[in-house]
Amino acid sequence: MTQYAFAVAIGLLFAAGTFLVLRRDVVRVVWGVAIIGQAANLYLVTMGGLSGAAPILDGTARGEYTDPLVQALVLTAIVIGLGTTALALVLTFRLAGTNDTIDTYEVGE
Amino acid sequence: MAALLGPIGSGIAAAPLAAAGEGADAAAVAGGTQPLGVALPLLLALGTAIAAFLAPTDRLRRAVALVGSLGYLAAVAWLVRAVLSGGPLAYRVSAWRPPLGIVLVADALAVAFLALIAVVAIAALAAALCDPPDAPTYHPLSLFLLAGATGAVLTGDLFNLFVWFEVLLIASYGLVGLPNDAAATRAALRYAVLNLIGGAVMLVAVGGFYATAGTLTMADLARRLAAPAAWGIDTAPVLGLAGLLIAVFALKAGLVPFHFWAPAAYRAAPAPAAALLAGAAKAVGVYAILRLTFTVLGPLRLSTAAGGPLAGGRAVGAIGIALLVLAVASILLGGVAALGADDFAGLLTHSSIGQLGFVVLPIGIAAVAASVTTATVRTAGATGGDIVYLGIAAAVVYTIAHGLAKAALFILDGALGEWAGTTHLDALGGLAHRSPAVAGAFLLAALTLVGVPPLAGFFGKLFVLETALGGPRPLRGSTLAVALGGAVLTIGYVSRAWSAIFWGRDGPAVSSTPPRTAYVALALASTLLVFGVGFGPLGELATAAAEATVDTAEYVGTVDPAPAAPPEVGDA
Repeated sequence: MTQYAFAVAIGLLFAAGTFLVLRRDVVRVVWGVAIIGQAANLYLVTMGGLSGAAPILDGTARGEYTDPLVQALVLTAIVIGLGTTALALVLTFRLAGTNDTIDTYEVGE
Repeated sequence: MAALLGPIGSGIAAAPLAAAGEGADAAAVAGGTQPLGVALPLLLALGTAIAAFLAPTDRLRRAVALVGSLGYLAAVAWLVRAVLSGGPLAYRVSAWRPPLGIVLVADALAVAFLALIAVVAIAALAAALCDPPDAPTYHPLSLFLLAGATGAVLTGDLFNLFVWFEVLLIASYGLVGLPNDAAATRAALRYAVLNLIGGAVMLVAVGGFYATAGTLTMADLARRLAAPAAWGIDTAPVLGLAGLLIAVFALKAGLVPFHFWAPAAYRAAPAPAAALLAGAAKAVGVYAILRLTFTVLGPLRLSTAAGGPLAGGRAVGAIGIALLVLAVASILLGGVAALGADDFAGLLTHSSIGQLGFVVLPIGIAAVAASVTTATVRTAGATGGDIVYLGIAAAVVYTIAHGLAKAALFILDGALGEWAGTTHLDALGGLAHRSPAVAGAFLLAALTLVGVPPLAGFFGKLFVLETALGGPRPLRGSTLAVALGGAVLTIGYVSRAWSAIFWGRDGPAVSSTPPRTAYVALALASTLLVFGVGFGPLGELATAAAEATVDTAEYVGTVDPAPAAPPEVGDA
């Protein structure tokens, strides 16, 4: 069941992100990119399996554990995503200052 | 042409056996102490980038950048020597064993690209010292770009590759947006948005590789993909995921149809930054394509279970066809757009797209040839195998020649802008008799793009044409026609630029002495003459790089001499 929920969530996030990227407003485009990045992160988490167990061996039982590697990858990817989204927003802010518009049609070439 | 290529061709065929033996020795030595020299360029670039960022005064920043770049050049020179004489080296970060930890691998392919990056970086630094960009962040950003490019070339881990790409890209967004005006901001934002989407796509591909193959270490991945059944790997998704990665790498390399960010970004960036982007950053995309296509996916045979036209064939064949489509589109579109450009920077950026097509064309032919060779790629004497080596060597030589030439031309573009006040082709004219240095720098670099002997670009073009001529029969005519058509387009836009800028009616009045950056461009362009006349070392480097690229076994052995066996029950 979990995998269907994740599949639907990832699909919706990618769709929403793509929709926003295709808007004229640059702020929405940046949000769209951020959402696509988060969708990729969510997808990456699911690649480690969805057993529901903690991503660590607790030492008491030799029971189930979720692959911790993808979680480490996602942490890195989230940090990079934060930095790049912030940078893109700064560029948007500067675009408003230098071009007096944040409409992609009006910004032109 | 064949006679001229004879000695090189036979060298290509005979050398892998010798190289493999040396590789085994190197791996045994590496078991004791780690070769820190592999990590040194990366540490130097990263360390001096941080130091330059923290430096309080402009003078100190310049000093740090100079020390860092010269140290980087020395470290890369040492690494090139060590790898060419002693075989590939691997550095296991924190001494973790390969499938678990990150590995830095320096083989001949990696050091060939590092050498190009180091030379371009020194030239860009010299240009930036002669004509300082009026932004305190230029030097830290360019050093971070250098660190990103170095990390991407050295890393042996797919996710780590993603991280270094992001380091490289974040630095390039900053460099493109450095002029702080409307055009630069637009260009930087477009560049950032496209590459952020590219980054997300790469992350999806990386996750997919981990889910299907159970590893992200490239050597381990290559080993498992060589025997997919034993590791329980479904081969069909691997091909799709590889396609995603190729698209992302093509975006970094600026190939059609992923080239939309390139023209505006290069035009907006300060001249030394544009030189770095065109010479070094694009080369990293080419490196990633070569590494993925041949080293990682080279041994992969698609399973027959799924059916369809690709079943049972080699994965490199399908990727080769895709690369050929990208290459042909890039050569034609880039060349035509460069012909129609109205300013020098626009001509250079579109020319870059076309020239990168010339780099990817032999890679595509080599990949297809590798898939149709019935024996393994390395079998001596098989003509298909020779074309594989020749194609990769052609791509390496062409990347180096083009990277140096285009970096020189972008520095020259900055010098022209400062000297004449414009780089608009219609406004300029008659500069040839004003400064032989400027005209000489342009001629050396531009004729390298055309491929005129005795410049280094001649060998690049020769090998590309030779690869097209010897490629698999159905491709032979069409690839040769495109390569020749692209060469004609190159002659067209180069001669157009020459007559518009250097001949004809005098343009704006210029001072008698050109800016000092023009001499930097001349010095960089002269290396093309040096490498062309004394082609031996460059040819050896390219030959060794081609062997290292296809020799998956040696790469795997360098990273982990005693890898784990496949599990008994196939649950990867």
